[in-house]
Amino acid sequence: MYRLLRKIALTAKVVVPEKELLLLDTETLGQELSSSIKKLFQGSLSIREVAAGSSNAEEQELTALSNSYYDIERFGIRFVASPRHADMLFVSGPVSRNMTEGLRRTYAATPDPKIVVAIGDGAIDGGVYRDSYGVWNSVSDVIPVDFQIPGDPPSPKVVLASLLKILRETEKSTDVSSENK
Amino acid sequence: MEFLLTPASVLLLFAFFFIGSVGAVFIERLFSDNGKMAGFWGHGFALLGSLLGLAISVSVLFFGQGIAFTLPTVFPNFLLDFRLDGIAAFFFGIISLVSALASIYGFGYQKHFYGKYRLGVFSFFYNAFIASLLLVPIANHALFFLLAWELMSVASYFLVVFENQKEENIKAGFLYFLMTHFGTVFVMIAFFLAYKATGSFLFDDWRAATGTITPLIQGIIFGAALIGFGTKAGIIPLHIWLPEAHPAAPSHVSALMSGVMVKTALFMLFRFFFDFFPGAPMEWGLVIILIGSLSALLGILYALSENDIKRLFAFSTVENVGIILLGLGAGVTFFSIGLESFALFSLAAALYHTLNHAIFKSLLFLGAGSVVEATGTRNMESYGGLIKLLPFTAGFFLVGSLAISAFPPFNGFASEWLTFQSLFIGMTSAEMIIKVVFFIAIGSLVFTSGLAAACFVKTFGATFLARPRTEEAKNAKEVSVFMLLPMGILALLSFLLGINATTVVASLIAIIASIGLIRPVTLQFPFSEFIQARADFAAILPLESIALLLGLVFLLSFGAIWFVTRSRKIVVGPTWDCGTPLGPRGEITSGSFSRSLVTIFRGILRPTRQSTVEYHDEDMRYFIKSQEIRTSMSDPYRKGIYQPIGVVLHFLASQARRIQSGNVNMYILYLFLTLIILLLWATHV
Repeated sequence: MYRLLRKIALTAKVVVPEKELLLLDTETLGQELSSSIKKLFQGSLSIREVAAGSSNAEEQELTALSNSYYDIERFGIRFVASPRHADMLFVSGPVSRNMTEGLRRTYAATPDPKIVVAIGDGAIDGGVYRDSYGVWNSVSDVIPVDFQIPGDPPSPKVVLASLLKILRETEKSTDVSSENK
Repeated sequence: MEFLLTPASVLLLFAFFFIGSVGAVFIERLFSDNGKMAGFWGHGFALLGSLLGLAISVSVLFFGQGIAFTLPTVFPNFLLDFRLDGIAAFFFGIISLVSALASIYGFGYQKHFYGKYRLGVFSFFYNAFIASLLLVPIANHALFFLLAWELMSVASYFLVVFENQKEENIKAGFLYFLMTHFGTVFVMIAFFLAYKATGSFLFDDWRAATGTITPLIQGIIFGAALIGFGTKAGIIPLHIWLPEAHPAAPSHVSALMSGVMVKTALFMLFRFFFDFFPGAPMEWGLVIILIGSLSALLGILYALSENDIKRLFAFSTVENVGIILLGLGAGVTFFSIGLESFALFSLAAALYHTLNHAIFKSLLFLGAGSVVEATGTRNMESYGGLIKLLPFTAGFFLVGSLAISAFPPFNGFASEWLTFQSLFIGMTSAEMIIKVVFFIAIGSLVFTSGLAAACFVKTFGATFLARPRTEEAKNAKEVSVFMLLPMGILALLSFLLGINATTVVASLIAIIASIGLIRPVTLQFPFSEFIQARADFAAILPLESIALLLGLVFLLSFGAIWFVTRSRKIVVGPTWDCGTPLGPRGEITSGSFSRSLVTIFRGILRPTRQSTVEYHDEDMRYFIKSQEIRTSMSDPYRKGIYQPIGVVLHFLASQARRIQSGNVNMYILYLFLTLIILLLWATHV
């Protein structure tokens, strides 16, 4: 019973964006995101993506975010090369044994405060790889996870909408006005 | 106090060195303790003598009264004539100071040699070397001077080859012996021509003969002196012995050779151009400036490409001698066109840099000695991370590096700044040729200063920063207190001479004025004018204010950093390595640091590169088993100048062998023929 309660307490929030968010077009979503990032991160949100044994589906969707259609850099979101520069970690895949140490080190190398987001079903509970011999089943088994974005893979727009929800949740939990002083 | 200004004190000083040198040989026989006692005896008496020398020179300068006396000899044309005037006392003081500190260092360094080499022999030559170094500036008779000069060369030769189990030291010693005698030949030419022109070997008579010598003879004397003493000072292209001989000697001897022995040559150039035969034509000044520019620029370029820590310092000595020559040459030029106060200013810059270089170069050589002692190698590629293992040595070394790179508030800044000032004064001159030469000199000095900073960033970084690259460097231990103390004193001096620049310059001007450029020759120094000169210089050289300002800037910036980051939490974690473990092999080493600069200057440095690759499968060259790359610099002087001379000499020698039949009758015939020719010539004339 205790273990179950503990698991519930420790499990990250699964972010399922509201329907109305998904109905918005990319432009409006982006404006919302941009104003949220201005408040929380002074205008730029840096994300480091860690592919911890994923099938590359999530990576393809995330790469699509940077193409000329979505072009998230105009909203202040950047994928950076080093966790030292990152505010947020995107982790995809069920965490293969070989990537465990790498994921831990990346987590340790990311400066606090940081937001860890598990992307895709694989990262949440192993997905189709669940219980296979080489994986941990979920990112939260290795490092603490704050949010989870379901989908196999989540489409770029879902990721954007979820990101907006995550930022709103973060905004709610931190008193931004006091921190900026 | 009175005693210090008498001839007896000077003689007592040399008695100390005599007891130190001869006594050490007997002591080594008496005790069978691997030469420990002999080493302490030798270094101890050298220390006593040097301290006395320092006291004498300080009291001579302080009381403004010289010492001059003559000892009788049995030879009619050979006088042991001593003259310790202001300028001599200045060099005497530098030599005493550096040798006193080197001797203290020797107490710690000598354990290097226990059981391996004979410390009694070392002490003998060490004391003889310092004694002859001290004789050179005060010898006032040409033949006496040559005796001291030769003694200095021979004693230092034996110190260079002292570690005779290494073959490269013997080679270095041979080259040094050859080059130093090449220089001595030209010194003798200069001396004998001066004798021919004045009829005396006494330097005092030369001073009196001013203006009576024909310009041609004077020109030849100057040229011969410049080549002769330039060889000892290490001007390019006569410098080739420096990077070989200085590293080969034990480190405190390297400090003496590099820090003060090259200065004796500069001292003699100073004597020749300003004391013996003042009024050299302007062209000589310009020639000296050009030689100085070339030596400074090429010296630092070679230093930059060097990976052997002591060879690097030897090349840096070539550079600094060049900078001193810039000041000297500017002095000659100004004096010849009648700008006496500017000449004084430039000479003060030259002497200041002489003093400073003696201090920071010996500091660096002693530091290098400690590093070599701790790691067992002179190759900078094998160091790394020593700042944690040798914290004090690293600190003193840093002071030396900052001083030699001319960073305020250390002393190198003050003298280089002065040299720049004197060169800028020359730029305002009316004559085109002076303008052009001074312009070249300024360009070269600007370039040299920048490269010097790069060079010592490289030296300090490759030696002390990052992580140890070899097992030896990993197990290095801090050196003994005997070796740290002299470095500490030198570092402190370097700082004090930097912040008291106006005082130093004013006293240097007083010393230069004392040799009688402007006033009649006298052994009294115009120290009464010292206070006024100091005030004059404080107005144009606000070094104290600069130092104070810099200190303030430092304090303010550290304060600002503290204020901004005061609430920041510091978390220490491993370096982010992108998954590739970081090791010592990934470090920027000495070679890789200078690589880009070497590439820029490859026209001058001519780097060579050889690589050999070994494959796992020779037929299918996909997988490399091992790869070896050797990079080095070609030596254009040896290839272009010295080797052809060697070939010619060898050819002449083999021709001369033809008449050497080995038959005694033949030699008697030669003698007979020579006699007849001489008789015929004598009757004819």
